[in-house]
Amino acid sequence: MQSFRLNGSRVLEVELRGDAVRAAAGAMIAYTGDVAFKNAGMGGGDGLRAAIKRRATGESVSLMRCSGKGTVWFAKDAMEIVVIEMAGDTLKVESEQLLVVSDNLRTDVAFAGLRGASSGQGLFTTTVTGNGPLALLSAGGPPIALEVSPQYPLVVDPQAFVASRGQLNQTFVTDVSWRNLVGESSGEAFSLRFDGTGVVYIQPEER
Amino acid sequence: MAFEQINPKVVSSAVAPGREVLSRRGSMLAYTGDVGFSPVHTGPGGIGGLAGRAVAGEHVSMMVAQGSGTVYYGFAGLYVTIIELDGTAALSVEADRLVAHDAALQSTVVFLGEGGGLRGMVRGAVSGQGLFTTQLHGVGSVAVMSHGGTIAVPVRSGEPTTVDPQAYVGHVGSVEAKVSLNASWRDAVGRGSGEAVQLKMSGSGTVYVQASEQKIR
Repeated sequence: MQSFRLNGSRVLEVELRGDAVRAAAGAMIAYTGDVAFKNAGMGGGDGLRAAIKRRATGESVSLMRCSGKGTVWFAKDAMEIVVIEMAGDTLKVESEQLLVVSDNLRTDVAFAGLRGASSGQGLFTTTVTGNGPLALLSAGGPPIALEVSPQYPLVVDPQAFVASRGQLNQTFVTDVSWRNLVGESSGEAFSLRFDGTGVVYIQPEER
Repeated sequence: MAFEQINPKVVSSAVAPGREVLSRRGSMLAYTGDVGFSPVHTGPGGIGGLAGRAVAGEHVSMMVAQGSGTVYYGFAGLYVTIIELDGTAALSVEADRLVAHDAALQSTVVFLGEGGGLRGMVRGAVSGQGLFTTQLHGVGSVAVMSHGGTIAVPVRSGEPTTVDPQAYVGHVGSVEAKVSLNASWRDAVGRGSGEAVQLKMSGSGTVYVQASEQKIR
């Protein structure tokens, strides 16, 4: 099992023992030992199909593959970091909020519905599946994990959305009265509604 | 000790007669007691040192706090880290990262080209830190600012630590920094890993790295 350790709340420490992780390009701040950094390629290291999908959908992700033996420290723009352990399930994440994924995890692109258009992230979102740890970024402060259960659906601002996990159905809510209230110039009056069972991560800052 | 961390972005320091504190001009947030602030024109090394600093661009206006009381320091909402120097090793840091330090510490401006030769100059130019750096010697505390806080990474002999030049804050001990170019054809075609230029730190000591790739200023 790979060890992802937080050093403070904004620096991630990863121990490599001959294995590899994929990280956001340029996110390394220091390393010791013998570690090589290589661009993971167009598909983020997940083969031609993912590469073509990324090309076509514009949900680009710029990852580098870090392999070797040693300790690597990652950080990006002083954003807070949360480590999530995956156990065979699927996580949907904004590609720019991804810091490090274990090489055991697969990343792919999925249709996100109209949500993508509203948050300016494109119509597609990145999915991560498999077993292993990953680290997400949260701007403006520590991320907040909100639980969703069938009785309690959750509505979030698309610009604060970071990731979602579990059996969730996301729909798009347009609040016309609210839009009228804020006026056309103040931007979108869209929100994201999650139904089902799972966890949604949001950040305390709007993109 | 001399400096006390109030929150991640504010430090306080006790000031007493014979225990003055030098700080970046404008970094005082509040003070209690009877404390006066006056600008420091001649840096250490007298007029020569001042001229050296001006030429080097390694110059940040400092002020001195005198009297007796407690002064609170912070700057531009940046994170402040306290580094204690025990007199055995010097701290190398960019002048613009200094928030405050004990007046008892000796500060000098070091030309990076020295010793490192051309490589040292390249290092300064590449990391955008200029060709000069400030060194603090002696026993006392230093408050250094960073974007997102710093972590201390040990440097052991025979086991170099490599850092991103943009995340580099400073180092303590007998550590030599060298630029290592890790560029490949991939970087030329824009498909690099984003880690083409690295700073290789060898020797023994500690290197301080910030949680961001943004410079101060």
